[in-house]
Amino acid sequence: MEDLIRMEGVSYSYYNTIAAVCDVNLAVQEGERFAIMGANGSGKSTLLQLMNGLIHPAKGKYFFRGNEVSEGTLKNKGFLRFFRERVGYVFQDSEVQLFCPTVLDELLYGPLQLEMAEGAALDRAFEVMRMLNIEHLKDRPSYRLSGGEKKMVAVGSVLTMNPEVLLLDEPTSGLDPRTQCFLVELLLELSEAGKTLVIATHDLSLVDEIQARVALLSEDHRLEKIDACQALLADEELLLKVNLIHEHRHFHGQAVHRHRHSHYSRHKH
Amino acid sequence: MENKVPSFLLEKPLPDLFRWRRGRLKVSFLEKGMQQLAHIITTGYLQPNTFVKDGLLQQIDARIKVLFLLFFVVIVSLKKALMPEMIIGTFVFLLTLTSRLNLVVFYKRVLFLGFLFGFLVALPSALNVITPGKVLFPMFHLSRPYRFWIYRVPQEIGLTAEGLHGVAMLTLRVMNSLALSFLVWTTSSFPEIIKGLKVLKVPDGFLLILSLSYQYIFLMARTMEDLHLAQKSRLVGQVSSAQGRSWVVGRIAFLFQKTRWRGDEIFKAMVGRGFSDRIKIYGIKKLNSRDWLAAGAFTAVGVLFLWM
Repeated sequence: MEDLIRMEGVSYSYYNTIAAVCDVNLAVQEGERFAIMGANGSGKSTLLQLMNGLIHPAKGKYFFRGNEVSEGTLKNKGFLRFFRERVGYVFQDSEVQLFCPTVLDELLYGPLQLEMAEGAALDRAFEVMRMLNIEHLKDRPSYRLSGGEKKMVAVGSVLTMNPEVLLLDEPTSGLDPRTQCFLVELLLELSEAGKTLVIATHDLSLVDEIQARVALLSEDHRLEKIDACQALLADEELLLKVNLIHEHRHFHGQAVHRHRHSHYSRHKH
Repeated sequence: MENKVPSFLLEKPLPDLFRWRRGRLKVSFLEKGMQQLAHIITTGYLQPNTFVKDGLLQQIDARIKVLFLLFFVVIVSLKKALMPEMIIGTFVFLLTLTSRLNLVVFYKRVLFLGFLFGFLVALPSALNVITPGKVLFPMFHLSRPYRFWIYRVPQEIGLTAEGLHGVAMLTLRVMNSLALSFLVWTTSSFPEIIKGLKVLKVPDGFLLILSLSYQYIFLMARTMEDLHLAQKSRLVGQVSSAQGRSWVVGRIAFLFQKTRWRGDEIFKAMVGRGFSDRIKIYGIKKLNSRDWLAAGAFTAVGVLFLWM
């Protein structure tokens, strides 16, 4: 499979002082399910923003389908369109992502940007709304939506552009279990449909559920390891080192004891 | 719930569709403006970590520095000649140097704001229409002088020596005041400044507003940057000016709403933690001999400047 995304020695710091990503090398292949994991503040969201060309590396290079993505290349109209219609980004905070007057406008924004005919754009928007069960929200402004509804609209607004790659920042955070389950199923179906998924998360159960290849970031913003999720989730020492599991007191029935503990359980049949 | 992926999501774009097109994307003025404003707030006014450096002013208590700031700003405003203003400027420069601050970063801010709020604001007053005097740089020549109500427009309009002196005075005053403020700001931590102001009996309400505003302005700037990035991630071409304006208006409304909600939430959180309208401070240290020495030295220098 071809490398869809390739990062070579990428570093980034905020305001030239606060390091966020240090010397990261990674490649994501077409159709892959890829997760970026790490503790809070390890640089997951920054890495996703770099992959979406929203910010640019202070050091190193980033390539999409073999083309360098930089501030300069994204100023070229042809490349900007090529890149943006192929890479969609769902922000962690859905609120900032929704800027159109109504949900329908939100879903139409992308297709109309791509200069699609109005009829075709409307068809897409309604198909996505049906898929996400949000048809009843179509005339509602984004500020009148619940957290879960906002997340669905944010996902929908990216899906109507039909991107090849979906970058999702903490997609299940703040969602109720039913919506989480719906979203995970949706991600799996999109993956089966051939979409490349890159997910930033510290939710071990999500990574286990979608069986992604995982890039693990350390707390000093470096790439600790890239491996299949089963191998990585089994490596307790490593997970402890990057602060993704911990030791704490908890109950087993009536007995309280202390041992290494993660808040996910493997799915058993 | 069951997901049914629509057929269009199964379509794949052709990888060879991409061609480098001629022409570069122009970023709209509004977009650039919002981006820059957020950047200036988050980088320029975020308190730098310079107060932990081992410089001269960093070792002095914030209360002394706050008093020094107030005293010297009064002196700067009282001086009526260029020379004393320049000497005060040199004194501030020496303090900046001995406090081991980055001179380029420091004076870039001072010069930019001094130019904006000092020079540019005062420049029109250098015209002989406002400040009569000897015209040094003639600019326009009218056929005859005009009278309008209490105003007199002379035949020859230009910059006068008296006017330019006034502009130079105001610019120097603004620059000196800014340099003094930045000097105290960059060599003391924000909580220490608040403590200093509290000890100097500044009303609690004012301090509360000051510290909440300081924190909230960065949250706002962060939200503004995120909004900008969210739009950028879904833009595939150039935005027309009308679209840009419409987006900015929408986002201003969103920020306004968010500010109101955030304000309510913060107030509830404060009440929930037993908020009263009084600021409680702790850990007030006694002034040591170095602080008293610095206070004495600043007073002596200040009196010298007043006498000049």
